[in-house]
Amino acid sequence: MGIIRAKDVVYEYIRRDEDGNVEGITKAVDEVSLDIEQGQFIAIVGHNGSGKSTFAKHINAILNPTEGTIWVDGMDTNEEEKIWDIRQTAGMVFQNPDNQIIGQVVEEDVGFGPENMGIPTKEIWERVEESLRAVGMYQYRKHSPNKLSGGQKQRVSIAGVLAMHPKCIILDEPTAMLDPNGRKEVIRAVRGLNQVEGVTVILITHYMEEIVHADKVFVMDQGKIAMEGTPKEIFSQVEKLQGLRLDVPQVTMLAHELKKQGIPLPDGILTTKELMEALGV
Amino acid sequence: MSIILDHVNYIYGEDTSLEVKALDDICLTIPEGQFIGVIGHTGSGKSTLMQHLNGLIKATGGHIYFNGEDIYDKDFDMKKLRSKVGLVFQYPEHQLFEIDVFSDVCFGPKNLGLDKKEVELRAYDALRKVGLPEEFFYQSPFELSGGQKRRVAIAGVLAMKPEILILDEPTAGLDPMGRDEILDQIKQLQRETGMTILLVSHSMDDVAEYVDRIIVMNKGAVMYDDEPKKVFSHYKELEEIGLSAPQVTYVMHALKDKGLDVEVDAITIDEAAMDIIKALKK
Repeated sequence: MGIIRAKDVVYEYIRRDEDGNVEGITKAVDEVSLDIEQGQFIAIVGHNGSGKSTFAKHINAILNPTEGTIWVDGMDTNEEEKIWDIRQTAGMVFQNPDNQIIGQVVEEDVGFGPENMGIPTKEIWERVEESLRAVGMYQYRKHSPNKLSGGQKQRVSIAGVLAMHPKCIILDEPTAMLDPNGRKEVIRAVRGLNQVEGVTVILITHYMEEIVHADKVFVMDQGKIAMEGTPKEIFSQVEKLQGLRLDVPQVTMLAHELKKQGIPLPDGILTTKELMEALGV
Repeated sequence: MSIILDHVNYIYGEDTSLEVKALDDICLTIPEGQFIGVIGHTGSGKSTLMQHLNGLIKATGGHIYFNGEDIYDKDFDMKKLRSKVGLVFQYPEHQLFEIDVFSDVCFGPKNLGLDKKEVELRAYDALRKVGLPEEFFYQSPFELSGGQKRRVAIAGVLAMKPEILILDEPTAGLDPMGRDEILDQIKQLQRETGMTILLVSHSMDDVAEYVDRIIVMNKGAVMYDDEPKKVFSHYKELEEIGLSAPQVTYVMHALKDKGLDVEVDAITIDEAAMDIIKALKK
């Protein structure tokens, strides 16, 4: 069994009007089943309102399924006494860096998680150091977080989760509020965690360029998994993705356009290099 | 409705040890009816610059002329300026508060002291301009999707009938289709009304296809101010300051380096595709 497993997960919430009368029931997650192996880099994409964030919140037991079950490293998220173990196993990083940093100094902020876990002081400092080094923020350890750029803050948030030694990190649109440089920094740090530290990564994003290196991509629509496969398999289906309110990287789109006009090219070209090779230049 | 910025400076904490030059000798002319992209990385001064245009921040040096009138003159009517220059902030949907969409859009014009009928006409017109279907008008704004909420927020500013519209990162956080829809709508708005629009963004991909002119800000100064194609030809310099040209620009340069005879200034996928086919047939 993989590190994260979901079986027939359904999440419903009741919509109420101002007087508290029931207006209807919305199924935000609809029969989702998946199995994620330890060490994989997983991407989840989908349009606004497709249910991807709601599903992600199930993985560290912020939400519990209405029906179905989720196991995190074998622990059922419905078992309340396991909740802290689950959250240490699967850490979460959110969209807005300003909402998740609490410390006055970078290293204190990163130490907050392990401190709450009751880790001995000496080990906390060791963890803080290794986490900050892993995201390339060690030289900023004495800085005040509010003087950092968005990308730097987001890397501090990731270090904060990393210091709890999770087996899995879920990132919910971590780059949505960042500029291109900040985005690159964060994605580089995340890939590093996955490849060097072997942490399982679940990345939720709207930027298609960020998922070309994923091992597997899930596309969500109306609470369901609409597509799953490698980036190449997913991005081969340009029209289907557009129908799901998504797009493909510009290079992929360009190759698709060229193919439509009669240039013989394979489907699912993801990088400039691949395009050049396929064109034979 | 033209705006002229003449040697505008803005310095935080002037004459203290914490002095920071947020704007450095900005000279710009913004003629009527242009669609302009203002690009820069976080901290480049682009938002500070925008806040000068409707007088939210007062320059520490230089002059700003709105239709030939100096906005820092004692008898200049700042309130009028603010109703003429509409500013849509980042994540504007966080500022929605009314019980239904229509009332929310009415809030601005109501505060201008207009009569009820005029207020409602304007709200209706603004919501139509942002392309929000009528069935949503009497729903709570909080029940709409992200893209719809953002339209409502933009309509709230449009209902003030600004002559210049400034949008700060209007596509942040939207899904790819939502991004295209909002930008298409803004472009259409600009075509229909001839309104001057300034679109602040850090995404080149977003603005490349839409705008007539791009102003690149770096360290508080204007680094480039030209049509998109010419700005993107500096893609290497843009990268150094934390920006990037659209991905097709890189593809075209890479192909050219490998000896394929393509024009490197294509900025849309269609242009690039046509160009590559032409080069391959040679």
